[in-house]
Amino acid sequence: MQAIKVPLKTRIARMTPGQIVLFCIMAAIFLWFIFACMILPILNLLKTVFFEGGSLSLDAFQKLLKSKKAMKALRNSFILAPTLSITVGLVGISLVLITEYFDIKGAKILRLGYMTTLIYGGVTLVSGYKFIYSNTGVLTNLMASVFPNMNRNWFTGFWAVLFVMTFSCTSNHMIFLRNAMRSVDYQTVEAARNMGASQWYILRRVVLPVLLPSLFAVTILTFITGLCAMSAPLLVGGTDFQTINPMIKQFADMTTTSAKSIAATLSLVLGLATMILLAVMTAIERRGHYMSVSKVKTKIIKQKINNPVANVLVHIYAYALFVIYVVPVVLIVLFSFSDSAHIQLRRLDFSTFSLRNYGELLSKTTAYKPFLVSIIYSALAAVIVGALVIVACRYIQKRRNSASATALEYSLMLPWLLPSTMIALSLMLAFNQPRWYMFNQPLIATLQLLLIGYVIIKLPFTMRMTKAAFFGLDNALEDAARNMGAGGLYTFRRVIFPVLLPTVMAIAALNFNGLLTDYDMSAFLHHPANPTLGVKIKSLTEEMGNSSDGVALTFVYAVLMMIISAVVLYLVYGRGGRDNIKE
Amino acid sequence: MEGTAMIRLNGIEVRFGDFTALKDINIHVEEGQFYTFLGPSGCGKTTTLRTITGFIEPAAGTVMVKGKDITHVPVERRNIGMVFQNYALFPTMSVYENIAFGMRVKKVNKTDIDRRVKEMAQKVDLTEQQLTRKVAELSGGQQQRVAIARALVNNPEIICLDEPLSNLDAKLRVQLREELKEMQAKFGITTVYVTHDQEEALTLSDCIAVFNKGFIEQIGTPNEIYSQSKTEFVCNFIGDINKLAPATVSGIAAQTGHSLNPEAATYVRLERIHVNDPQTQGRAAFQAKIVGAEYFGLYIKYQMEMQGQTLKCIDKNDGRQYLKKGDPVKVTIDPNDLMVY
Repeated sequence: MQAIKVPLKTRIARMTPGQIVLFCIMAAIFLWFIFACMILPILNLLKTVFFEGGSLSLDAFQKLLKSKKAMKALRNSFILAPTLSITVGLVGISLVLITEYFDIKGAKILRLGYMTTLIYGGVTLVSGYKFIYSNTGVLTNLMASVFPNMNRNWFTGFWAVLFVMTFSCTSNHMIFLRNAMRSVDYQTVEAARNMGASQWYILRRVVLPVLLPSLFAVTILTFITGLCAMSAPLLVGGTDFQTINPMIKQFADMTTTSAKSIAATLSLVLGLATMILLAVMTAIERRGHYMSVSKVKTKIIKQKINNPVANVLVHIYAYALFVIYVVPVVLIVLFSFSDSAHIQLRRLDFSTFSLRNYGELLSKTTAYKPFLVSIIYSALAAVIVGALVIVACRYIQKRRNSASATALEYSLMLPWLLPSTMIALSLMLAFNQPRWYMFNQPLIATLQLLLIGYVIIKLPFTMRMTKAAFFGLDNALEDAARNMGAGGLYTFRRVIFPVLLPTVMAIAALNFNGLLTDYDMSAFLHHPANPTLGVKIKSLTEEMGNSSDGVALTFVYAVLMMIISAVVLYLVYGRGGRDNIKE
Repeated sequence: MEGTAMIRLNGIEVRFGDFTALKDINIHVEEGQFYTFLGPSGCGKTTTLRTITGFIEPAAGTVMVKGKDITHVPVERRNIGMVFQNYALFPTMSVYENIAFGMRVKKVNKTDIDRRVKEMAQKVDLTEQQLTRKVAELSGGQQQRVAIARALVNNPEIICLDEPLSNLDAKLRVQLREELKEMQAKFGITTVYVTHDQEEALTLSDCIAVFNKGFIEQIGTPNEIYSQSKTEFVCNFIGDINKLAPATVSGIAAQTGHSLNPEAATYVRLERIHVNDPQTQGRAAFQAKIVGAEYFGLYIKYQMEMQGQTLKCIDKNDGRQYLKKGDPVKVTIDPNDLMVY
């Protein structure tokens, strides 16, 4: 039912004084947050690029063009992104086919293995891969014992980055593409078979076309991930293969203004590329997904591969992938119980297993502090962003189609268009000096700065999910409450919020999970005395070749984070929680 | 029915942007009446109901309840009970909490709430055990009773029901329709009911307003609406009907001496066409041939070829005759049964 537009005057006249005060406070909070924390810092970043010497100039771009390092990073990123899109696409599609379409023995176990990236990613994953493949890695040692003359530094540069990222970026495929595959109407497959189509033909002409829109979307997401790569090139790219984001970080850490303007310009290039890609993705999404016209959809039945040779080859391929996904996780878990000496030798000896490393985490301040810091930051940010977005969504729901609601929605979705390094850099550049809009407080090296950054980067996702939940609400519930005499706030508190609560909690849990392992944002904004887990793991991983004390700690962190992530994901998507979040 | 006007809508007009959803709606509902708004989807019946409950403010016209103008009184202060299409039971609350909701809003004290919830539950046949359940655990029928209890517990003078049976399967729909009627008789509350189902409207109502495209086509008792449909729309919307060809109309006029205009749209209901009926007094009689039949058990619906047109009629399956395709029959029509527009 369409709502009738009530003029602003009448609306205000109908508000109680309490409601007016509440409205003003909320409006002030949102206006301040949107302008002071997002829009003005971004404008400041643009100023750094275009008004470097105080007047409009393109000097920054010239400097960028002249900087060999920066240009090489740019080129590397634009090589990595498309290559990664192809490799991740191929691996991702095969994962979905193996787990959901073909009849593969042990598909359930395989699926668990392929899904390890959901609980184990980012900087932790890179550190795990490095432990196996680096010059002193488990696999390298193994290979060197067979081929003594091999180059032990083989796992570095472009191929290493591509390898690590190919297997770490398939999470989107395992979520979105798998969902699309599950929604294929099996009756269409049967119909094709009934008309004489072969297995390969059905896959090509009936099944894959249904997946195409989702595949486009995840491919673009992969492309953006490739462009924005940070921890993989930092840790395994070596000197030869650095990409835009590590370069931004490097330039931003220099003290000269000219270095800072190169950093800003690089982030702007990255931002523009992201925006263009997202625009393309939105256009594709607008064209819509293929909706099954069937009212009596039947669940897909796994297809046995008819050709016996192909069947064997596919099984070998499936299990090879499984090994690649699972070995780092298994080794990390096992070695987390091992002592330093054995970690140094990369040798497993069950007799030396103990909980000593875990005990150390609890007893050493330097060990548990980063963990605690990240937990507190992630929890705070998840709660703040959840609260902000709920208020915003309620306003948008009530004032649908009004200019203020639209402006609010777009402002809160803004960070979606910007790479997190650009947001981090904009905050860093804006608040390295007192600003009137931040009450003249410089925020560099304060605890608040990273919190603001975390809240900003989690806004768009939270907004999208929460808004969907709001709009999925049955309007009649609110009408019913009002019909029984309840006012707006009472209705929200007693009726709307309880219905939304499971979804809100689930979104907060996912946000918490995502921030816990963050490296990209905290690399720029973390408090010097209080590094986050991501920052700590990254520095420990860099030392991996030299000392093994840190390695044990990295593994303990990794195991704990996997447990936390697994619990969160189980609660959100697992039994009982499945209806809360629909991607 | 005698009584004071409980609800009076005067010249109601509702606009959504440029679209005029309701134009000049005038209705008066008497106390204790079961009043139904009937019409196809998009005709304005729900909009009218929502104007009474206050979810929609009309652009023109007044809403009066017991002589008091409530046009601009907000929803939450009207105390008009409402049962929603999908019942809108709060999923996070128990049955008890759902029924108590309105009283909690009004800050009624706990013992009174408890007493009234339990009384109301008893009236609508909900057990104490069911009160502690989650609403999702109830059957469709039980949910409807919770929705009604929730709407009635605040002692409203009016209860509005917005297609409460439309999302149920056929059998349950008939069963709940009967329950609803019984309950309304028991509580004696003024009821405004919205439906697109003509059978529901005819069986439940004291009075029906037939809506079409934002207008009211006819207001009347079920029999008036059905047997003396005021407009062509109403006679087509309610029940099944035959439109007579001009030749047939002229034939009836010639045989009975009634003055009928063959060019006018002339209709006759299926059950007013008599097949092989010995009584012919005052009726026009025609020879016809059975060309098709649909067997319903209780009755049989025949298609006949007569005067070059196909007519439908129904014949009670009382064992007197069972006609087959190709059988010749004698058809009689009473000119008083015709509806002419």
